[in-house]
Amino acid sequence: MSYLSVKHFLDINSIFFLIPLGFLLFLSWVPSSVAEPVIAGLISSRMESFLKGQILIEELNCVACHKSSSTSPESLTVRSKKSPRLAEIGSRVNPNYLEAFILDPHGTHPNTTMPDMLLHLEGEEKKLVATSLTHFLLSLKKNDFSLQAPDAVAAQLGYKLFHSRGCAACHSPRDARGLELLPKNSNPLGALEKKYSFKSLVHFLRQPHLSRPSGRMPDLRLGGQDIERIAHYLLRETRVPGSLSYTQYRGSVWEGLESEQVTAERAGLVKDFALESVGQIHHHTGIKYEGWIQIPRSGRYLFFLKMNAGSLLVDGKQLLHQDPSDRRGVKHLEASTELGEGWVRIQFTYFHTGHDPTLSLEMAGPSFDRQAIPSSMLSISDKTIPVLKKFELDPERVARGQLQFVQLGCAHCHNDLQLTSPSAPALVDLNISKGCLSQSKGAWPKFNLSLDQKKWIAEALPSIEQFTLTAQQRLHKSLVTFNCIACHERTELGGIAAERKVFFTGTQGALGDQGRLPPPLSQVGAKLKPEAIADVLLHGKRHRNYVDASMPHFGEANVSHLVELFSKVDTLETASIPQVTQNLEFKNQGWEMVGSDGLNCIACHEFNGQKSGEISALDLVSVTARLKKNWFHLYMRDPARFHPTVIMPSYWPDGQSTRPKSLGGDTAKQIEAVWLYLEEGGRAKKPNGLSRQSKELRVSDVTEIYRGRSSIGYRGIAVGYPERVNLVFDSEEMALRQLWKGDFVSTDFGSFHPRGTDSILFPSGIPFHRLKSMEENWPYKGKKRYSFPQDHGYQFRGYQLDAQRRPTFLYVYGDISVEDFFEESRDAQGIIFFKRTLTFKTMSQQLPFYFRVAIGKKIIQRSKQSFGIDQLQLRILGDPPGLLREGNPSEILIPLTLSEGRTTLTLEYQW
Amino acid sequence: MRLSSLFIWALIFSHSLHADEDLGAMWGSAQEESKYYPIVTIPIPTGVPLQPGGFEILPDGRLAVGTRRGDIYFIKGAFESPPKPEYHLFASGQDETFALSWKDGAMTATSWGEVTRITDNDGDGVADSYATLSNNWGYSEGHEFAFGSKHDPEGNIWVALGLSGSYESHSLFRGWAVKVTPRGQMIPVCSGLRSPGGVGANAQGVMLVIESQGPWNGCCSLKHLKPGAFLGHPASYNWYPYAPELKVPALEPQTDSRMGLEKKRIKELVPPVVRFPYIKMGRSISGFRLNKTEGKFGPFDNQLFLSDYSLSLIMRATTEEINGVWQGACYPFREGLATGLMNLEFSPKGQLMAGGFTTSSQWPVRGTEPFALQRIDWNGIPPFEIKMINIKKEGFLITFTKRIDREIAAKPASYRIITYTHVYQGDYGSPEVDHTTPKILGVEPLLDGFSVFLRLDKIVEDHIHDFDLGKIHSVEGGNLVHNKAYYTVNEIPRL
Repeated sequence: MSYLSVKHFLDINSIFFLIPLGFLLFLSWVPSSVAEPVIAGLISSRMESFLKGQILIEELNCVACHKSSSTSPESLTVRSKKSPRLAEIGSRVNPNYLEAFILDPHGTHPNTTMPDMLLHLEGEEKKLVATSLTHFLLSLKKNDFSLQAPDAVAAQLGYKLFHSRGCAACHSPRDARGLELLPKNSNPLGALEKKYSFKSLVHFLRQPHLSRPSGRMPDLRLGGQDIERIAHYLLRETRVPGSLSYTQYRGSVWEGLESEQVTAERAGLVKDFALESVGQIHHHTGIKYEGWIQIPRSGRYLFFLKMNAGSLLVDGKQLLHQDPSDRRGVKHLEASTELGEGWVRIQFTYFHTGHDPTLSLEMAGPSFDRQAIPSSMLSISDKTIPVLKKFELDPERVARGQLQFVQLGCAHCHNDLQLTSPSAPALVDLNISKGCLSQSKGAWPKFNLSLDQKKWIAEALPSIEQFTLTAQQRLHKSLVTFNCIACHERTELGGIAAERKVFFTGTQGALGDQGRLPPPLSQVGAKLKPEAIADVLLHGKRHRNYVDASMPHFGEANVSHLVELFSKVDTLETASIPQVTQNLEFKNQGWEMVGSDGLNCIACHEFNGQKSGEISALDLVSVTARLKKNWFHLYMRDPARFHPTVIMPSYWPDGQSTRPKSLGGDTAKQIEAVWLYLEEGGRAKKPNGLSRQSKELRVSDVTEIYRGRSSIGYRGIAVGYPERVNLVFDSEEMALRQLWKGDFVSTDFGSFHPRGTDSILFPSGIPFHRLKSMEENWPYKGKKRYSFPQDHGYQFRGYQLDAQRRPTFLYVYGDISVEDFFEESRDAQGIIFFKRTLTFKTMSQQLPFYFRVAIGKKIIQRSKQSFGIDQLQLRILGDPPGLLREGNPSEILIPLTLSEGRTTLTLEYQW
Repeated sequence: MRLSSLFIWALIFSHSLHADEDLGAMWGSAQEESKYYPIVTIPIPTGVPLQPGGFEILPDGRLAVGTRRGDIYFIKGAFESPPKPEYHLFASGQDETFALSWKDGAMTATSWGEVTRITDNDGDGVADSYATLSNNWGYSEGHEFAFGSKHDPEGNIWVALGLSGSYESHSLFRGWAVKVTPRGQMIPVCSGLRSPGGVGANAQGVMLVIESQGPWNGCCSLKHLKPGAFLGHPASYNWYPYAPELKVPALEPQTDSRMGLEKKRIKELVPPVVRFPYIKMGRSISGFRLNKTEGKFGPFDNQLFLSDYSLSLIMRATTEEINGVWQGACYPFREGLATGLMNLEFSPKGQLMAGGFTTSSQWPVRGTEPFALQRIDWNGIPPFEIKMINIKKEGFLITFTKRIDREIAAKPASYRIITYTHVYQGDYGSPEVDHTTPKILGVEPLLDGFSVFLRLDKIVEDHIHDFDLGKIHSVEGGNLVHNKAYYTVNEIPRL
């Protein structure tokens, strides 16, 4: 740092007068090779230096020691990064690492933000303090840290995931050997295999905010085995003792384990060559074992193999080889070789192929009778791998450690242990020529700050509690603190570093950069509705599943303020939006434009979860819920203005419509028409050309039906209504079997699975029956009643659709024909319910019978015609009363007497 | 209860097939076949999940396709060259649909659960009435599929119902064929089916069904749905009490026997009409159609064409009634289609439509497309083929599609005939057993030049007679497109 650049600040910032000249002078003596704390966002951002200073003060948590008097909800105390919680550290971190890190944080983990607290101590005393602190920390809760062997196969996958899922946006990408490629502008990880075990790292990555509540390390919310694989990758150097290492492969193993038709499944340690030791094994598996045998005495050793195929190398010599064949069973093979005393390398590849595959590997030699090689003679290395011993706590050191934890000031930052350290000078009383920012040694933290960093802090410190930043400055400070700009471009602030872009990948190559890079944040507040920003930032909603990088969680408490800030800061000019009175005509025009006969938006965009072409860009039905209308109008006129590399063409080049016949060729009207149509969301009428390939069947503006196998049986008819209520009718027993709300069904060929929520199930059974007495059980199919329910006079006759494609189910009960119709209705509060109308037709007077409308363990009768069955409210309209027949379960029966002609019965189902 | 359709399909059609198992050698005749019968692929738009199961031709000349997803599409332009298909969705939301038949302004579809008469009453081109004619058979297990016929002259739809788990019969009428009348009455017709496929009539109007290899079925076959018959698999005996018009057979078949022996013990047992030696002639036959194109599809009028699922090929069959029992022969026709074939249909122009799907790459089907709609056109060039084989009292009459070289045809050495049969057993499938080699006592080329009569020392009842006629040349010197034919002898003519 030159004096000139400091001088420059002096001109522009009067607070600089507060910095004593002596401080400036010694700044220049600090060696340049210092591994200063790295906060990656600070390095890449374009930001005023006093803001950088503010961020540093917050990230180093200066206010933990130097108390602030402010009680504002946006005070420095609130804004500052909380240090890692230590209560669980005995499970999380290797005790050896913990001690080394306390002793020398900057040497153990270069670029860490943890300061050296023992700088004022020397030699044995310093070491003793570090040991005592370690004992104390491990005494807090569980002290059960243990190491697990890495799985090299999972680690290979983890290597890819580390780069594709977003870890490498903040941490350094690595080459295949593990060498960090961009260490200077990445948040440092250090030697993780010395710090974590597989178990503890997975636990940390699953819920990082448990131990680091400030969310700087976000929760990546990865599914499946992604976290485990990444942990195996990061800890692939972990060494634990074992007998043999193995890698298991599956596929066309006869083509060789390197073949494309073979997949490596897992790797790890195993105690011996017995197949049971590796667990379940499938046909066409290959296992590659590697290890060392301790030969007790020099001499000739014999090896006996029973297997379909495999290959044995001992001491570098191939002793046996047999190619796999499924046309034979197990072969018995023998070979011998001279071996010297001591450790000898063994490499054995086994193929689980052929008839009745099995494996036996035995050895015999001088004073060693023929037998399987015992674990005790095997090792994965010819050199000793130390066992991580359980850390034995010394009560005296624990006590001393606690005392030092308090005295040294550790409890200021690590304040989850309910301990209090003696106070340091208050924030307002700070003299930056003394203490942590000075070059002198003393009983204060040493952060290893760089010259720039010290300068930024010095600049920011005087005004740190006067919260006078503009909204934009506050927004940008957060975007840098949380390193949002590592993944998202924001024009005036920064974005994905050029050398990092290559690591961003996606599954929709045809979308270009938009298919792999997370979306830019430039003008995002003018683009997205606040609730849409909140959905993504706080509630885990994702729209671009084709981007491999995950949108992580930073914790609602840490970032919820961004929602409002974006809207406040980002503004665009007002587009001309026409006033529309002929809503229907506009919507129809919009419908046509979106479909394959119009602009064919669905060629590239998904529509209601269904894709029509090879490309599946953002779903159109969510557009109006996400976007601000003003932005939509501006964007549609000129997409390239917002994304220079966007592949979406302009359909109104230079503001001119390419469809002169639609809405008078008026650009603004046409764009508005698309908006109005899309505003129908999931209920928008399906556009022409929409695919039916999707397994999820969505309801739009008309009812959808799907028949087949489901949890209610084999002849279910699922019906999804546009008001987002659904039912299943059983065409075998003419019974209503299920009601639910929300999404309709997932389908497979001939089978369906209800989605949505608030499901009400009804048991199987026929609806009508003439009970001989009130003691008679309601008839049911049972195992052997093969001709049920036809033997009770029933016959299903199909269904007819009305104009909204709602079905009326038709069936026969004896001499009565029944029409059974469900329609959606809303009550006074706007709550949706089903109205069910049964129309009975008969040519003659009918004997009385009962209609069993519901069954339940707990039925509450509110009136003669109103019942509650768990979540369901059932109401009978008109005359007939409902009877509650008590039992286990109880039943609601409606007695019916039909005379010649037509009778209707109406029921309401609300839930 | 999400059912693995993959598993279902595997069991229906190819029980013994494993992922790494070889499908069997191809005929190797695809290139030669293509000189007469080119294959044309009908494009399917990206958004259309057209897994064809059933076909029909509409009165207006459009092709109707029923699909696994339970849709019915009407396709215009499928028969044009090149095809210019326009897809229209007529009906949707049904269970898997493997048979369609149009009659009196309505589409009757047979899906797994029922026979449905589907109509468009308001005339908007989309169905609005789905009238269930019958759903009175048991359906409670994932292998219990149903294949239906076209309307018979009385307007009935014949439905063949597969066994439960393809081995047993746990629900009503599984393993039976039933007849559904236009008024929705269900009439049981035959018992004894295992895993039937398509149902249809031959040129004489006799209703036939495809049966799959498995227990009590040494190989795939065409069976005669003779009312009251027992067709070989005894698992479905238990439903006779529900078919009071039919008498339960007095005896059950004995395992490890022969069809020829058991049909003499059990009077209701009707032997398969045509047996298809396993792998040589398909391994999972699915659907068939009668060629009534009056010459538009070449020299095979009134013959049956059959599709095979696993091997993605098409075969021919001829049938004749001898001593009151139906029997006949099968012949290779066309291989190399794009997917697992489910069904066939003749177009009004005399083209043969073929379509189907594969379930998952894990189960081998020779055609690799996930689904496809294809068409076989006859280009007008007559192929040199064995047209048909008919049985006579003392031998076989073989007719070719072209005049044959009389000199070669007159030599007994130009013919190789062996016979074999299958074990009729409760175990799965059967090897070919009891091989014999009949002596050719005489060869008599007929005056028409197309036919030859082979006099044999014996014809073996209950045996497949396996013909290799590779040495026969046409008068122009051409080789046969296919050398092989297989005649199933149930009866030997008495006269």
